[in-house]
Amino acid sequence: MHVCPVPSTFDDRTLDQFAAGLPPWPPAGRLLVDAHGVTWTSPHGLVALLTLGQWVQEHGGEKPRLALPESEDVRRYWAAAGFVDHAEACYELHGRRPRGRPSGHSETMLEVTKVGAAEDVHEIVARIQTRASALLVGELGLEAKATMGFAMALSEACQNIVEHAGTSGWVAVQAYHYRQRLARKVAVIAVSDAGMGFRASLEATQARNFGDRWRDGTAIEAALLRGTSRFRDPGRGQGLQGIRRYVSRWEGKLSVRSGTARLAMVPAWDDEPPLAEALPFFPGAQVQITIPGKDTARA
Amino acid sequence: MIRTIQVALVLREAVTTPYPNLVTRPTGALVRDRIAAMLEEAECQVAILDFSAVACLDVSCADEIVAKLLLAVPRDAYVVVRGLDEEQREAVEQVLQRRQLAVVVADAPAADVVGWVTDDVRAAFVALAHAGGAGAAELARHLGWDEPRAAAALDVLAAHRVVRRGADGRCHPLQAA
Repeated sequence: MHVCPVPSTFDDRTLDQFAAGLPPWPPAGRLLVDAHGVTWTSPHGLVALLTLGQWVQEHGGEKPRLALPESEDVRRYWAAAGFVDHAEACYELHGRRPRGRPSGHSETMLEVTKVGAAEDVHEIVARIQTRASALLVGELGLEAKATMGFAMALSEACQNIVEHAGTSGWVAVQAYHYRQRLARKVAVIAVSDAGMGFRASLEATQARNFGDRWRDGTAIEAALLRGTSRFRDPGRGQGLQGIRRYVSRWEGKLSVRSGTARLAMVPAWDDEPPLAEALPFFPGAQVQITIPGKDTARA
Repeated sequence: MIRTIQVALVLREAVTTPYPNLVTRPTGALVRDRIAAMLEEAECQVAILDFSAVACLDVSCADEIVAKLLLAVPRDAYVVVRGLDEEQREAVEQVLQRRQLAVVVADAPAADVVGWVTDDVRAAFVALAHAGGAGAAELARHLGWDEPRAAAALDVLAAHRVVRRGADGRCHPLQAA
């Protein structure tokens, strides 16, 4: 049994810490993902956990165990966010199942949802529209036109899975107070898949152009900054460009992690380095879109 | 013949989902194929694609519907779009720039050309739309340009099929045609 501790605060930043605790593949024994001490999870953390469980099984590993958090509030949040239902398929769950609703301040805009086909994207976009306007306009204080771009960005992020991953993935959308860096409410789209990742997806068409420099970081750069796609059709590879345009307009942040690298479009309110390489490996690809609420101090 | 096509209606007929959202490439391809068939059937010379009842148009769908339709229609046929909100217009602009295409957007307050166009070409289109039509010499006088500059802008507009050039060499913007 190999124990993989989940950081007490589990989000896009601490995913690296979690990935560092994973054993080399194949592991010597069954994995125990220990979320016992978790006190807070972002939607990114939830979809990343599902990705790991899915990836282990799709690569011939035994279904991992997941020790549920001790905190009743966190367990309730996990259930309310739809995580526990999906986790049953990816993990053997240990610990008390949650009862009731969480008492936290987060607002789930879209529960954790599986993405495997174009029809799923239609369903997801339709579901977000009923809630996006109320939260983006009502809670975050953004202009009404932010809503349609939000749905577009969500659609394109999910289509990356359908078009490129080679397997299914997960999406979750949530609004919460981002006290660490912004002291404002944010809306976060978190998408993760257990697929081939950016490097493998672009390998056949791009690796030769980069020679020795070809690695996870350059593959993400090619896709995110230059709109490169594995398809020869010159119109392909525009989804991430569309997300970039939307994120930039609303002073948001776009972060893409795949394999051992992460590339981010970093706004003024954040201090993350734009490119991080030689990170601990994590399977597939993870995309996070963060849209901040209106800065009432500046308004 | 001019034909106006309600894109949301085509979407409802093309896919089984009840949502007014143009998202995903397969959906865009289905809608484009239907529109192309409608245009062929009607022997349509000018197609006006009306997006006003479409809620969300993502970049992939914009590429499949608008960009690929522009590539597919015969050389003597023209496409105009209208009813785009700001986000949808930017999606259309992005995909057309990528493929070096352009289209007329006939929305208030005035028709505009969107896509792979320079400032000169856009200014020429706006001037044409205001005048209803002009040749190179007339356009040059109107904009204070020399004639070769105006002629070059008109050539680009004609190549993009956002204006129609008459036998007398005068160009007419599509929304006034």
